Amino acid sequence: MKAVTWFGTLKLSENGDVEECSLLEKDPEQLAQHMLLAVENEELPTHGLDLRELALACGFVELDEDYDVLLREICIKAAKRQISMTDTDDKRIIQAVEAMDDVDKAANELSERLTEWYGVYFPELELTAESMARFVARFGSRENVPEDHNMFSKASSSMGAELSLVDEDLLRNFATNLCGIYDTRKNLEQYIMANMGAVAPNLTNIAGAPLGARLISLAGGLKKLAAFPSSTVQVIGANNALFKHLRSRAPSPKHGVIFNHPFIKGAPWWQRGKIARALAAKISLAVRMDAYGGKLDPSIKVNLERKVESIRKAHPEPPKKQSTKVTQPGPGRAGGRPAKKRGGQKKGGMNKGSKNTNDRSGGRPA
Amino acid sequence: MKVEQLSDGIFEVIIDDRKILSTHNLYPGHSVYGERLMDVDGIEYRQWDPHRSKLGAMVLKGFDIPIEYDSHVLYLGAASGTTVSHVSDILTDGLVYAVEFSPRTMRDLIKLCDQRPNIIPILADANQPRSYAHIVETVDVIFQDVAQPNQAEIAAINSKYFLEDDGHLMLSIKSRSIDTVASPKKVFKDEVKKLEGDFGVEFEVLQRKELDPFHEDHLGVLARMFVDEDEE
Repeated sequence: MKAVTWFGTLKLSENGDVEECSLLEKDPEQLAQHMLLAVENEELPTHGLDLRELALACGFVELDEDYDVLLREICIKAAKRQISMTDTDDKRIIQAVEAMDDVDKAANELSERLTEWYGVYFPELELTAESMARFVARFGSRENVPEDHNMFSKASSSMGAELSLVDEDLLRNFATNLCGIYDTRKNLEQYIMANMGAVAPNLTNIAGAPLGARLISLAGGLKKLAAFPSSTVQVIGANNALFKHLRSRAPSPKHGVIFNHPFIKGAPWWQRGKIARALAAKISLAVRMDAYGGKLDPSIKVNLERKVESIRKAHPEPPKKQSTKVTQPGPGRAGGRPAKKRGGQKKGGMNKGSKNTNDRSGGRPA
Repeated sequence: MKVEQLSDGIFEVIIDDRKILSTHNLYPGHSVYGERLMDVDGIEYRQWDPHRSKLGAMVLKGFDIPIEYDSHVLYLGAASGTTVSHVSDILTDGLVYAVEFSPRTMRDLIKLCDQRPNIIPILADANQPRSYAHIVETVDVIFQDVAQPNQAEIAAINSKYFLEDDGHLMLSIKSRSIDTVASPKKVFKDEVKKLEGDFGVEFEVLQRKELDPFHEDHLGVLARMFVDEDEE
């Protein structure tokens, strides 16, 4: 039997004795390289071997300690190399998507603070978020608004307090930084737009760059997303609702992040679940083509459009609310979901009164 | 301050009637994850937080830890090395092979390996023991903390490859990662049953205990691999 090991290839007899060994050179760089390549080798041992004994028997090392020291050095080298190879296109997309979320959070917080603070000096300014930051960064105090600006009359008759020079500097600086954050967000968005086409052409064609990127990010990679069943794709991003559904009697979520697709968002509520299912199926197809080297195939999108069209035609009217067996009409909830009575549930200790309401509202994905 | 030894390399430092689980720091002066360092009679001990380490919890739950100072250990699911660092403390004359699948946590683990001479990092999938069969020798103990749905299978196939005859397997089973809905008691029962005979390796379960209050819905298992001598 032949066996590839980290220090060389051995030929072993039936009872495990070494018959022949071709050892590698004791060069850490080469050994690390060999260790990584060997993972693909067909002749890896099919069961565990006492490698230490074998290495000593072959004369690769003379002492136990030498074995430890050398193996450790090589494994660290090999692992470092593997880590440096993990920067792939889809991982960069994930970083960009997550960076965008962070930036959004920071921008919201800072712009709220700016509105609050600058509002003291110019409460009539009806700008928010980015336009407000740009305004403050440009003018500072409302006294600097020129006559030909459309805010001039408001600025000159404002009930706001006087803004001292020191405070003006501070606020202007703050606003300038906030503008920088908004710029960063745009850059990230452009980065995703520009790169998604190359990373996942089919996914981008069907779902669009932002949603496609979000899906990759939630799955943790293109290959992982491709390995998901489309039912998972359908509800990915609706974790809370899904687990509530699995644990208790809450209704299942119809859609996770794919809700942001115009097909679903633009559809009336009774079609959404059906369209979500069709869309998720096509997204799965598209991602699998992308992950395993396919080129852009426009037919997936054509088929999806046809399918969505047929759903729209087949269900033009909302279903009758009372059509299903309802023990009692729901307590006036919009959406007409039958209220769940759980008379027989009392003895099941898991779910009790107050939790019940949570479950139902949780059934709807955010 | 007093020190009591629980087993090889595992101590309880007693400060003001409080017992603090700890190991003898192999790399004095350095704390790995922000844990407390304690000096007793010139020897530095490192606090071992049982809430962050399944193995630590197993020590306090009264398991007979089979790891000795010169053991060779295969550690599956090393993560960023919180527990591995303590195993490394125990193994003053031994070696731990730390297998981890995620490159992100491997980054932290490698930093630890750079400081400690007895940890061998392996970036590989514990589902595929063959992909590191050219690296790992036969070991005395396998510790597994992988939180995967096929935990029992992973433990069994790795034992088949690497565990010496009569070697010990320690694992922590997380019921939530096997079935989020089923009751933990049932999941534990099924997993232990699977482990005992479904994968062509037999184990004798020596101890099993839930790891609460340190870890919720986790079961610690200590087993010895059973070698059927008639078959050989």
